[in-house]
Order: sequence, then C-alpha cells, then structure tokens
Amino acid sequence: MLSRNEMRYRHQQWMRRLRAYRTAAAWPTSLVAGDLDRLRSSLLGLLGTAHPTLSEIAQCNASDTRGQFRPLLVLLFSHATNGLGSSWPTKQRDALLEDPAAALDSPLTRPDILNVPHPSTPTHAASFAGVFDLHPAGLDAPPPAPAPAPAPTAYIPALASPSCLLPTQRRLAQIVEMIHIAAVFHDEVNDNDSVGTSTSAGAGAPFLDGFGNLLPILSGDFLLGRVSTALARLGEAEAFELLATVLANQAEGDMLRVHDTDTYLRKTYLRTASLVAKGARATAILGGCAHDTAIWRDVAYAYGRNVGFAYQLVEDTLRGPARARVTGPVLFAAEEHPELRPLIRRDLADEGDVEQARDYVSRSHGVERTRALALSYAEKAREALAFLPNSEHKSALDVLAHAAATRTWL
Amino acid sequence: MRRWATFARILAPTRSRHYSSPPPAKSTSDPFSLLAPQLAELRHSLLSLLDSGHPRLSEITRYYFLHPSKQIRPIIVLLFSRATNGLGRHWEHKLWAAQTHGAGGHADELDWPLTRPDILNDWNPSKPTCTSPFNSSPFTIRPRAPHRPSPPHRHPHPSTHEPKLYDAEYILPTQKRLAQIVEMMHTASLLHDDVIDESALRRGQPSAPAAFGNKFSILGGNFVLGRASAALSRLGDPEVTDLIASILSNLVEGEILQTKAVETDGPTEPAELPGEPLTKIQDAWNIYLQKTYLKTASLMAKGARAAVILGGCKEGDIWREIAYAYGRNLGIAFQLVDDILDYDSAAATLGKPGGADLQLGLTTGPALYAWEEHPDMGTLISRKFQGPGDIEKNDPLKPLTSQARNFVAHSSALQRTRELAQKYADKAKEVLEQLPESDAKNALEALADRVIQRRS
Repeated sequence: MLSRNEMRYRHQQWMRRLRAYRTAAAWPTSLVAGDLDRLRSSLLGLLGTAHPTLSEIAQCNASDTRGQFRPLLVLLFSHATNGLGSSWPTKQRDALLEDPAAALDSPLTRPDILNVPHPSTPTHAASFAGVFDLHPAGLDAPPPAPAPAPAPTAYIPALASPSCLLPTQRRLAQIVEMIHIAAVFHDEVNDNDSVGTSTSAGAGAPFLDGFGNLLPILSGDFLLGRVSTALARLGEAEAFELLATVLANQAEGDMLRVHDTDTYLRKTYLRTASLVAKGARATAILGGCAHDTAIWRDVAYAYGRNVGFAYQLVEDTLRGPARARVTGPVLFAAEEHPELRPLIRRDLADEGDVEQARDYVSRSHGVERTRALALSYAEKAREALAFLPNSEHKSALDVLAHAAATRTWL
Repeated sequence: MRRWATFARILAPTRSRHYSSPPPAKSTSDPFSLLAPQLAELRHSLLSLLDSGHPRLSEITRYYFLHPSKQIRPIIVLLFSRATNGLGRHWEHKLWAAQTHGAGGHADELDWPLTRPDILNDWNPSKPTCTSPFNSSPFTIRPRAPHRPSPPHRHPHPSTHEPKLYDAEYILPTQKRLAQIVEMMHTASLLHDDVIDESALRRGQPSAPAAFGNKFSILGGNFVLGRASAALSRLGDPEVTDLIASILSNLVEGEILQTKAVETDGPTEPAELPGEPLTKIQDAWNIYLQKTYLKTASLMAKGARAAVILGGCKEGDIWREIAYAYGRNLGIAFQLVDDILDYDSAAATLGKPGGADLQLGLTTGPALYAWEEHPDMGTLISRKFQGPGDIEKNDPLKPLTSQARNFVAHSSALQRTRELAQKYADKAKEVLEQLPESDAKNALEALADRVIQRRS
C-alpha cells in the first residue's frame, strides 16, 4: 500500500493531466457512437415490448450516454482485438456468409418449439387452441453445412484492417448492458414493499419509485430471459459459461456485507468488475480467441477486471455511504477515526449512522485514498493494454481506463 | 467400442423389435417408485451444485430442495432418457463419450468448467478442485497450457444405425445433469413467483420470501439460474443449450401474460349477438392456454426433448418430436388440474393456500368455462374479482369473490375443465405409442394418469 503522501501526489498528477486532456473527462465514444446509439434504441424497443410503462421509464434515461460504459468497453475491445485470434478467419467468414440479422436470430430447432417471438414463426404454431399433435420430423430446414475447415497453417495474428465488429460482438455488448440493467432493477426489490406499493426510492433507479416490487422483478426477469436466449445464440459455450457465472457472482455480491478491505474488494469484483472483465473476455472469444494458448483472452480479462474496479471505486466516492453500503471512503476513514468501526460492523443500520459516516469521511482522507486506489487499478488496466498492437481503439481504451478512474460525475 | 456395444446388447433384456412383434403385457410401472433411488441421488448431488461461500445464500438456494416437490420435471427427463436411449442415430457416440475420460460426457467431467476457475471466481466449497474463490491479488498475464485437454480420438461409428433400446435402466451422466438443471430452473422461477404472488406458503412450509425476505429470494433465484446456466454450458451441446436457455424467456413472458388483464368490456350480451361474446371468451382461452404453455408446459416439453437430443437423436429422428409433444400435452394437463384443485381443495391438502388464483385476480380454466354459462362472470373477470359486492361476507379477513366461486360451483366448469385435462393427458399417452415397449414407456403413461388423478 502506498503512503498517504505518495497517493496524494499521484492523485494530483492525474488531476493535472486530466485538466490538460479535456476529452478524458468524458467517455471516448466517438469511434463507436453509431453502434452505441443503435444499441440504446434497440434496448428501448425491447423494454417497450415487455411493458408499456417500462419504455416510458427507459425514455427518461435514454439521453444519458454516461450510463453506457459497459457496452462501450465491449465494442472498443472488439475492434482492438479482432484479427488476433487464430480462429478469426472462420469468424469473419461465418459473419459474411450469413445474413447477420438472420444468423443471430436463427434458432437451432424449429421456431414453434422454441416459442420465442421470432420473425418467421408460422401462424399455425402459435395457436394453442387444440392439443398438440406430433409434427412429422424433417419439416425443419436442414442445419447449415459446417464451413469447410481452413487449411492448417500457422496463423499470424494481425489486427483486422479496416477494424470491424462482428454481429455477435454487437449482440454481446447489448447482452452485457441488459445484465447490468436487470441487476439495477432487481436491486430495487425490497422487503418493506408489497407488490403493489412502494415506500422508498432506490439509489440506482429512482425512476422506479412508486411501482412497488412487481415491476422491478418482472422487468429484471424479462431482461434476463432475453439474455439467456441471446447468449445461447452466440454459439460459443465458453462465452455462455462466463456470463452465466456473472449472474451467480452478482447475486452473491449483493448479499455480501462489507466489514473490511477484503470483503469490499470481493464485493466490488462480484457486483461490478466480474461483468466488465468477463464481457471483455467473451468478446475476444467471439472474435476467434477461444482455443488459443495465446494471451488475448487473459489480456481482455485483466483489462476489464481492473477497469471495472476503477469504475466502481470512483462511483463509491461519488455516491457516498448509505445504509448497507459500506464502501472504500468509509473503510479508509475508519483507519483515521476508529469510532467508525462499530457503525461499519452494523452496516450503518442505525438511525444517524449514515450521517455520521458521511461526516467522518468528509473529515478524513477516505475519498482521496479510494480515488488513489482507483488510479492504481486504472494503471494496471493500461499495463494490460500494452500487450495489444497499437490502434485508435486501443488508444480509446486507454482513455476509457483513465476516465473511469478520474471522472467527477456519476 | 463396437464390441462393447454388441456385448451390452446381448446382456440387455430382449426387447421386441420396433414395429414387429406384439408388445409384452404391460406391467404397472409407478413412475415415482421406479425412479425413487435416482431422484434421491440427484437431489443430494444437486445441493452440492448450489453451495457457495455465503452461508445465507446457500441456505436460500437450497431451501426449496429440502422440502421436495413432486419432481415431475426431472422424472420426465429421466423416463424419456430410458425410453429412447439407443434409438438415436448418434447413440453410440454418446455412450462412448459417457464412458471415456476427456470426451466431455463422463460423469467426472460435467463439473469441469470451460474456463479456468481463477477467472470464473464462482466459488463452490463442495467442489474445491473445480472452483476458486475471488483473490484480490493482481491478475497476471502469461501464456498457459489449454485449460481442458482435447478429446481422445475415436473410431468413426458405423454409418448405418439400428434403432434399438439400449438398456432398461441406463441414463447418461449428461441426462442426469439435465434433470438437475431442469429442476433448478423450475426452483429459480418459484423463488421469484412466490415474491410476486406474495405467497406465504409453499408445500406446507413458509415460502422463501416469508422466511428470508423478498430481496434475498430474488437474489437466490438469480443465483440458482446462474449455476443452472453454467452447468448447461458444460453439457457441451449447443442445441440443448439453446433449447433450455429459451425456457427462461418463456417463464417470464408467461408471468407477464398472466398479470395482464383479460380483455373484456363488461358482461357479455345474451344470445342476441351470439358471435361477439364467444370471440371474447375464445380470446381469453387462447391467452390462458398460451400462458399455461409458457409457464408450465414449455419446461417439461423442452426438458424431454433435450434429454432425447443428449441421447444422440438428431434432426429427422421422430423420438425428439414424441418427447416434445408428450411434455407439452402433459404440462398443459398438469396445469389444468392445478387450476381445478385451486377451486376444489382445502389448504391442508394442497400445501399452499387454496383460492389463491381468485385472490390474485387470475382467470383460469374453470373461471372461463363458468363464464360461458354465466355471462355476468365476465364483469368479475374484468374487475379481477375485486370490488364491492364481491367480498365474502362471512370471512372479512380473507376477501374472496363469493359470486365467482358460486358461478363456478353452479356450472359444469370443474367437470369440463377435468375433461379438457383428460383430453390433453390422453394425447400425451397417444404420442407415446410410437415408442418401443419398455418399463419407462409404461411409466410415462402411468405418469399421465397420475397427473390427472392427483389431489394435491
């Protein structure tokens, strides 16, 4: 652990650099702005089909580009690594051979069996009027012939030029965002409310205030249902497994009570960094790095993990403590003010605990030290990037890591 | 490999050839007792799949497994496995994979993650060699050997295949794992549904939200879903992954459909305009049956189909169609009976509060049939059984709609619903006819009867 003076010095250096590079204060979205816009409108449309109220709610958040950190990371990382994986030629060929929209939507079994809304579902299959007769087998279109195996030659990794994005990676970015939003919705569920009424607003999604538990639960579940289907259709078992474990991680992380640095870092990993890290790794896999001994997947994971930490630590300094939310600033403040320890042990549950904690934090170096820790994670993320060949997307990822650790907005 | 397969066929009891000799006399095969040892073993190992480093979380996720359900969903998976193993064109390959280390189908390997444990960080204390807890040390980047060895080389199987049942009792490790996955997905949905429905009881015990709170029940459901999905990916079959993953969507969209009001514009007109009221009722029936498929039948249908696919049945094999049709028809029959019991049975037998559907404002089969005979039922339905005049005067603590109950009781609604359920169950049995004779097939028929006859 760095000394307090060293950390303060580092923080000042970064702040100086921040002022010099004004664009670093915002997310570097320019290279993928079109994809981000399409992602946002597609997500709005999807929420709208679930429940009309949901799309109204989502519209309020529509203009907020700040909330797109995760998909941005996935999109940039795709561009920055496509071409490096040894199966890249196969992935590229698969993407070119099939109509992108159809490929992502085409089920492996008949649409009436999957019963997921699908553009080509025959009308008879949707009828539930009578008992279900045996359908003679063989009505399905035959499965597509596998692409001929490329001649076995040593593959020389080289960034795809011009850089490009696979339809599967675009879909993955959407999946990552949906997992995040589902978690935000489910975070709104509380024990005091009945299904029909609500007494409190949540910090993550105040727009759900007044709707009770039903809407957050169903909305989150709806998104997870679509995520589950979409993940399977990416056609990559490793990616499916990775993101499945994110669901388990998030649930465990939400339950974890923080009482020291160890539990704080674990909770931060489980709730935030895990999704970012595994999303980055999954996009490298989709780009053709699945069975490699080369390091690309690990680079992706290391970058995402560290940026995820930086992002959440800074968010914790901006939000401040709350009931059942003991975060970095509070833990560091407790090192200077041991009187905080009993409050931490009871998770800031008592009347007045939160106000007291805020007070101690403001009178300590808690925020500074948390931000310094965030910077050290961002530094590690940028070190991981060094393994990648240079490109404008790699530079954008560098800026992204920097922005995650230095931003002063939520 | 070939010798082993032939040897096994010699050892297996003689089976009548498909399509030729008359079937042997049917023995009564009770599905529950036939599979009792397997079910107990599966439930026990399922608990270890849900273990975590967080004791409270483990407690919640395992809670519903401690008071076991009827386990009808895993039973369908296991029975269909036994009823079709050997028939699929790629059966030999599946059997080889189950018996060969490193081929991806062996029981020991189904827990092995596809990605290194120190990346997944999905710690399971019951599986310490396959999982790893989060470590806050920096993540280092260095070249590593492949995480899983490549599968061993295998002699190609013969190009012609003779569909013949393999063994009365053998179930592939992948099929057993599928049975667990199916039960986990069902349980995850229960953990959420009980919060949404504000149920106090489940199977005669306090529900999870009553015991642990709403928030933790939702999180517990998500955790079970995550573990089930990870296990699904490790089965190594993209088609099965696609099929089972889609179930979650079905469950949720069924739930959403259920919470939408049945569209009526008030009481139906008497017979002056015969066409119009019938259309409203028909629409309501379609919604109800679709909801029933999505929430109940889809899991059974797809679970059965996936079991058969894991046994090596490919596109063009009739067996997977039979499985799907059976599961779908059985699932709808199951839910119809459930809906009858909600009107017909007391809480003690049911294990959960009776009359729950009316209390939740839900319109089910009996209510729809009653509407056909009592047009005023339409108003009650559109008001979701809430409002003045609908309150049970005798019991102010538990407002039920006495009028709705009366309509149902003074009509042939329950009888007609029972007949409809019977029709679906009969269809389920009918599609089984093309399966070769086996104890498992008999058990599947018996299961359809049990579903209709149950009282809880």
